Amino acid sequence: MDQQSASAYKWWLMVPLFLVFAFFFPRLLANSLGPDNPWTSYLYLYGFGFFYTGSGLLLVTKTGACNFNRQRDLFWFKIVVGGFFYFAALHAVWIYLGLSIPYLGGQ
Amino acid sequence: MGSFGITLTSGAVMAISIVAVVYVAVITLFGGYFARFNKNINDFFYSGNRFSWWLPAASMVATGIGSYSYLKYSEQGYNTGMSSTMTYLNDWFLAPFFIFGWLPIIYFARIKSVPEYFERRFNSAARYIALTIILAYMFFYIGYNLYTIGVALEGMFQVSQLWSVPILAAFLGAYVTFGGQTAVIFTDLFQGVMLYIAGFLAIFAGIYALGGFDDWWSYLPISHRLPFVHLSENPKFNSAGLFWGEALAGSIAFTFMNQGFLMRYLTIKSVHDGRKAAFFNVMVTLPVSAIIVGAIGWIGKSLVVKQAVTGGALAGYDFVDIENTFHTFIVVCWTTVHQNPWVFGFIVAALMAALMSTIDTLINACAAIGIYDLYKPLIMPEASDEHYLKAARWASIITTVIGTVLVIWFNTQKGSLMSIHYKGIMIIIPAIVTTIFMGAFWKRFNSIAACVSMLAGSLITVITVWFPSPIRPLSWFLSGPLDGDFIYFRALFGMIITAIIGFVVTMLTSGKEDKDVTGLTIDTLDKAMSDYKDGGIPNHEVGEKVHGLNFQEKADTEKDWIELSQGSMDLLEAKDGDIVYLSDSRWWLGGLRSYHMKAKTNPALSDEEVAMSKETFEEAYFLEKYTLVAEKII
Repeated sequence: MDQQSASAYKWWLMVPLFLVFAFFFPRLLANSLGPDNPWTSYLYLYGFGFFYTGSGLLLVTKTGACNFNRQRDLFWFKIVVGGFFYFAALHAVWIYLGLSIPYLGGQ
Repeated sequence: MGSFGITLTSGAVMAISIVAVVYVAVITLFGGYFARFNKNINDFFYSGNRFSWWLPAASMVATGIGSYSYLKYSEQGYNTGMSSTMTYLNDWFLAPFFIFGWLPIIYFARIKSVPEYFERRFNSAARYIALTIILAYMFFYIGYNLYTIGVALEGMFQVSQLWSVPILAAFLGAYVTFGGQTAVIFTDLFQGVMLYIAGFLAIFAGIYALGGFDDWWSYLPISHRLPFVHLSENPKFNSAGLFWGEALAGSIAFTFMNQGFLMRYLTIKSVHDGRKAAFFNVMVTLPVSAIIVGAIGWIGKSLVVKQAVTGGALAGYDFVDIENTFHTFIVVCWTTVHQNPWVFGFIVAALMAALMSTIDTLINACAAIGIYDLYKPLIMPEASDEHYLKAARWASIITTVIGTVLVIWFNTQKGSLMSIHYKGIMIIIPAIVTTIFMGAFWKRFNSIAACVSMLAGSLITVITVWFPSPIRPLSWFLSGPLDGDFIYFRALFGMIITAIIGFVVTMLTSGKEDKDVTGLTIDTLDKAMSDYKDGGIPNHEVGEKVHGLNFQEKADTEKDWIELSQGSMDLLEAKDGDIVYLSDSRWWLGGLRSYHMKAKTNPALSDEEVAMSKETFEEAYFLEKYTLVAEKII
């Protein structure tokens, strides 16, 4: 097996890993928090999102598309990582405020 | 007169019509002005790749909001609350793939269209399969936008779509045909401002009617305050489906495949500025747009709840009665602006702005594909720039006509606007987005695999419309009517099937193809950067901009080259042969007068001088009375 093939197979190992994650993760959420809990949707989105963004970052750094020797690549790498946590924090605060401020409509 | 949940007097109709017609006429004239900045088809379609990041980024505000957006998201906001923002706030997951992958690939490989990428990455067959799918996607959007505004105008004013759609199409087709991409960008910038002003005006009126921000939030049911809907309860709008269908398939289609957006990025002067535009789009434009298009629905819900609690209409306002939730935007706006036809006319003009700004982009994009992927390679390979420019204008006209005719087909479709939209898009996109992804990120993926996976993936996805049971294992946790289960999960199914086919065919045919794909995949970007510099070594040192440069005519300087002093070159961190971007010092032009050139050192020049030929100077649209700014690109 040449180096290129070995590298390709290594990448494709991500697929069964993802399938295992995709099978167990929603079940874990549904069994622990329950599908009605507002945090379930949040964790579903950012759980799969973390996997997706993380695999993207891994891919671009391993292939050299993001090269830390290039000054600007390091800057944009930090932005991408920071952006993920920015949106995750924004949505978390949003859910907290939605649940914690009293509703006057009378349910 | 009028329906759509409101009643308009003939005087009101007249006032609204005057505002709307004046607006459309002003935009057409404004867009037509930019015809003077088109000397060739690169100018016509890509504005000479000369703009600063903020100009295309700001113009994307209007492009991303279609005429359907206000109606559709206000309805969604009324029904499920702030979760209407989900489709706008889940795009960041794609950031590493776009910022470090797709954007540098298309920029440095000088890709003009996605089908062209398929030809260079795979072969001609792949190009024309991709072209068919992409045109279906874009014509779908053009027809859908025209149909939506036609429905709205017909509902409010009883103007037959037979008249309203062709007239509107003629106006926007006119400025796209003459002004090209530059007209699209500048009119979209103007219309984006218009959309935001009208949107915030409507929101302000609604919040004011409710008695302030606190009342709005307090009367909004808790389920409506949350940023996400239930994970699986509603088959037509659930968090799980939206992640796969919207955050992945939909967002990949919009950022990787939508020729209109791609061309917007290709008008930008550098990859660094393109990344800034992408960052701004996801961090600022999309969140603000989510509020603009959905907030009237949230306000409408609070209004209805407050009316129920307080026992009738709010003081000073008519009773808000939303019988058909699709009318939410119109009913709430009309009531909260005290039925003032002039203010309401401004809001209707915003609806038209949303339509025009989305369709002009798509018309220009379809015309680009028509020229670069059909006319130039197949019909007239060798012709003058003037000829292609003329052909590009004809392509814009033909695209407008086809989009207009498609409205007839949309009128025969059953179901809500939202279901028509998603059903169509989720069938068209899965196979091609997966193929683009595999092509860009997996070097071994070959031409045979690309063609087979696109064809078979599309075919199997279409077949699931009639035989949906294979999708069930993916959507096992959803409830509700069977046909609704698969709106989003059909996209996930299509992507998985396409990926499996692509992988298997690649493995079976591996080694049968020896095509050079250097520069077209993520792991060969260094070579792409070198090719971009005609074989030069990429210079990644970050220098400073050099301001206040005065033009010195030097006839013997080669075209597209400039000469700078040693001091200026040092400040730029530039070496001889590096690509430098020179622009007019007025930043607010956004690069309208600018050019990419290669730089070399001329020790005889002072630090305030830049030398070039008159031809290069004119190519950049520079004016002698303004100083210039230099910036190293690579």
